[in-house]
Amino acid sequence: MIDLKNRRNLMQLAALAAAAVIPFLLGANLYILTVLILMLVFIIYSSAWNFLTYTGQGSLGHAAFFGLGGYGSTLIAVATGLSPYITIFIGAGLPALVGLFIGAICVRLKEWFLAMVTFGFAIIIQTLMVSQFSAWSGGWDGIASPRLLSSSIPNYLLIEYYSILAITVLVIVLFAIILRSRIGLAFAAIRENELEARAAGINPVKYRLFAFMTSAYFAGVAGALEIHHMGYITPEIFGVDISFWPVIYSISGGLGTLAGPVIGTVVITLLWDGLQSLGISYARYIVIGILLVLIIIFLPKGLISLPGRIREWMETRAKKS
Amino acid sequence: MVVSPDIALQVVIWGLYAGCIYILLATGLNLIFGVMKIVNFAHGEVLMLGAFVTFTFFTISGFNPYVLLAASVPILIVLGVMIERLCFRPILGTGKLNEIFISLGLIYIIQNAAAIIWTDEWRIIHSPYESITISVFGVNMPLDYLIIIITTIAILVALYLFLRKTTHGRAMRATSQNRKGAMLMGINVERMDMISFGIGAGLAGAAGTLWAVSGQVFNPYMGSLPAIKAFAIVIIGGLGSIPGAIIGGLIYGIAENFAIFTLGGAWKDAISFLILILVLIVRPTGIFGESSE
Repeated sequence: MIDLKNRRNLMQLAALAAAAVIPFLLGANLYILTVLILMLVFIIYSSAWNFLTYTGQGSLGHAAFFGLGGYGSTLIAVATGLSPYITIFIGAGLPALVGLFIGAICVRLKEWFLAMVTFGFAIIIQTLMVSQFSAWSGGWDGIASPRLLSSSIPNYLLIEYYSILAITVLVIVLFAIILRSRIGLAFAAIRENELEARAAGINPVKYRLFAFMTSAYFAGVAGALEIHHMGYITPEIFGVDISFWPVIYSISGGLGTLAGPVIGTVVITLLWDGLQSLGISYARYIVIGILLVLIIIFLPKGLISLPGRIREWMETRAKKS
Repeated sequence: MVVSPDIALQVVIWGLYAGCIYILLATGLNLIFGVMKIVNFAHGEVLMLGAFVTFTFFTISGFNPYVLLAASVPILIVLGVMIERLCFRPILGTGKLNEIFISLGLIYIIQNAAAIIWTDEWRIIHSPYESITISVFGVNMPLDYLIIIITTIAILVALYLFLRKTTHGRAMRATSQNRKGAMLMGINVERMDMISFGIGAGLAGAAGTLWAVSGQVFNPYMGSLPAIKAFAIVIIGGLGSIPGAIIGGLIYGIAENFAIFTLGGAWKDAISFLILILVLIVRPTGIFGESSE
């Protein structure tokens, strides 16, 4: 699988190496590590969101799964006393189940219908958390969540960073394996032409539900990681913003590619935190908004297509002169 | 829980008034969808701007806020045309969900530009008729509600006349029925896009003014939810069907207010999506929608 002559493989290794040494280059202080950890969490989250688009589905309510993962894992960790590293993967079963349920309802819906229903579910789940389920969820006040690692361990943030990096790499490799298998081919067939896929004996419902469940599961893992990192969870986690971020990251990086969400998350997060350190608050949303609009209009395949576009442009210029 | 008929009637009246704002939003969305086949998720941001433009005029001039409709709506029509030209025209005919993504960008831009201009505090406009309550058919309601309901009806009638009687209106309907056919008949469909977007933004702006005048608070981030609900109404009523939008808007307004009464205030937003999901399970194309999308 790894072939050093292949430029893409080289890029992947370079990215991994960069992720491994970056805490040493920048100095492992609290602020930088927190930014890096959240970046990794959102890489998992955006990759999970992006996984859904391989079947031609989309969601504007992934915060529902992100948040349910956080609540599921927290409640299990509090009840059983298990380490968050274990409960993350059990707790994410909750969003996977809910995802299966939502997927089953949405399976006939497409495009904006689906976008609307998923958006609605995020709001309904938030409402349930603050009203009917407030006995468990603590209502709007939220509940404390066990930390991934106790802060008494030396360099605990550094260990957290590397463990989350390992999970991130595993998740992306898993997605790559799924997409290269027959399942990935079936996804592409359904996305491109559902009728023909059906004629070829592919059951779109089965694959759509699988994609929805997988996506919800890993969005839940990401949510649980963030919550155990922060040590606190409130229903704000179901907010519209949290639903929109993976969409923005994936689109700016490049929809329907594995590297897209990673690049998008890194670039936008760096821009975001960079603008914040310059003391810009509201205006950074405007910058992100303008960037998104420009990317959709001029770079429909995302930042990942930028090097190719620049090369193309240089070649045409060279020809002219 | 038993609701007495008196209270039920009162809730229906509140629902009618809330429904008016949804109807204006949903009609605009429908018009745009009909002609351009795209969905503008940033529609609620236009409503928010309508409220703030009215607020600014009101603070400067002190005129009756209802009169200010005539000043704020044209500004938002111009803004709508600009948004169409700069953002939506370049992506017409590209990827299926691109208009939703570009709307996300627009939402961020407009909300935060408004937050810079007007700050993110909650604002309110006090209507001159605030304290007046009148009795219609034995039901008490604030005079403002009655004016809002009448204004909405007047706007809808004007829109109906425009679409039925004028050349531009006919051309717009032709474009929404068959874009290619309309083009072959010599209709400038891009101009129709522009006009429909302008009218849609104007309707949302009017909804914003009415929102502000009715004594509801507003801040730069309040627009998203009403717009998403309006979009849900459009889906329930059937994409492109204006009567569907009107009936859907009324159903939503009334259902929301009943939910507040029976389930508690927390359910105000969730109930509308519950209705949407229930409708879509039964009829994936909406109540009045055609069988094919």
